[in-house]
Amino acid sequence: MSQTSISAYFHDVGKHNLLTKAEEVKLAIAIQNGSEAARAKMIQSNLRLAVSIAKKYQNRGCDLEDLIQEANVGLMKAVTRFDHTLGFKFSTYACWWIKQTVRRHITSHSTTIRMPSHAKDKLWKIKGVRKEYEEEFGVLPTMEEVADILGTTVETLRSIESCSGSTVSIDKSIRFKNSSGGSEGRKLADIIPDDEAPDIDAVIDRVKIKEAIREALGNLSSREEKIVRMRFGIVEDDKNHEKFPITTKEIRALKAEAKKR
Amino acid sequence: MPKGFKTKNGYATAVDRGGLNYRQIAEKMNAAGIKMNHSTARNVFLSALKKIATPICETLSVDQDPDDLSRNPDFQSSIAQIVADIYSEQDI
Repeated sequence: MSQTSISAYFHDVGKHNLLTKAEEVKLAIAIQNGSEAARAKMIQSNLRLAVSIAKKYQNRGCDLEDLIQEANVGLMKAVTRFDHTLGFKFSTYACWWIKQTVRRHITSHSTTIRMPSHAKDKLWKIKGVRKEYEEEFGVLPTMEEVADILGTTVETLRSIESCSGSTVSIDKSIRFKNSSGGSEGRKLADIIPDDEAPDIDAVIDRVKIKEAIREALGNLSSREEKIVRMRFGIVEDDKNHEKFPITTKEIRALKAEAKKR
Repeated sequence: MPKGFKTKNGYATAVDRGGLNYRQIAEKMNAAGIKMNHSTARNVFLSALKKIATPICETLSVDQDPDDLSRNPDFQSSIAQIVADIYSEQDI
């Protein structure tokens, strides 16, 4: 649905007048008697309610058009099940059906990883409780308080909240303005830091240290160098005895000798 | 050193790397015709490490006495690894 068509839809919806309570009862009785015209009239007169509820769930990963469509499905369910004898206005009854249908649609379609419906419902409840609590007491409730109000555990709430984050492609383009005023495209992956990458300062320091040690080793006397090598267990090829005074075999023999003592 | 005294950093684990203790080094050097006892072997080793520690302190602008640093077991372990790397890269 394009912007023009959705505007036209809003215009059409606005043409239908709202029903009075007496009209609602009259239509409800007719619907119970199987009147399709009464059903259509009841639905059309409450389309505004469906749009109003659907609009509250915008920007949650679903298109407004889809939300309105789902809200209308919920409205139709409410019309079928409405019981006028209980004495409530239709809108009071219908809004719960509409909200449920819209929420279920969002749960199934807004994220790549689907959350169970009951978990998403709990998430809505958490948000609702927080909002009400803040309005009443002026501060946000703690996790323990929310868990207490909802009759669940803190672990469950944490688990639900941790799963509720939205997903985004690592290859998503991110546009930003460059120095010349134009915009450049970069991918999200380009700006996410790699925590496991070696620290460049540490790498530079290590290179510097290695260089310093290399130079210092060159300044050691022959005796010092031999002792450092022996102390650090740096051995060379058994065949090359010229520059190094000890071989692996000799170390093993010396160790065996030391154990005997 | 009092009985039961434990050093702050412990001893360098040169032997774990396949290195020799000072007595073994002295023995080996004596066999090679360079007369020395285990104390001398240790002193020569620490002197060599001091020569290595000095340029490191200068390079990294570390405000620490190279003499103290050369005795530090952690420093000795680190140097052992780097020196082994250097020797494996090229024969000095």
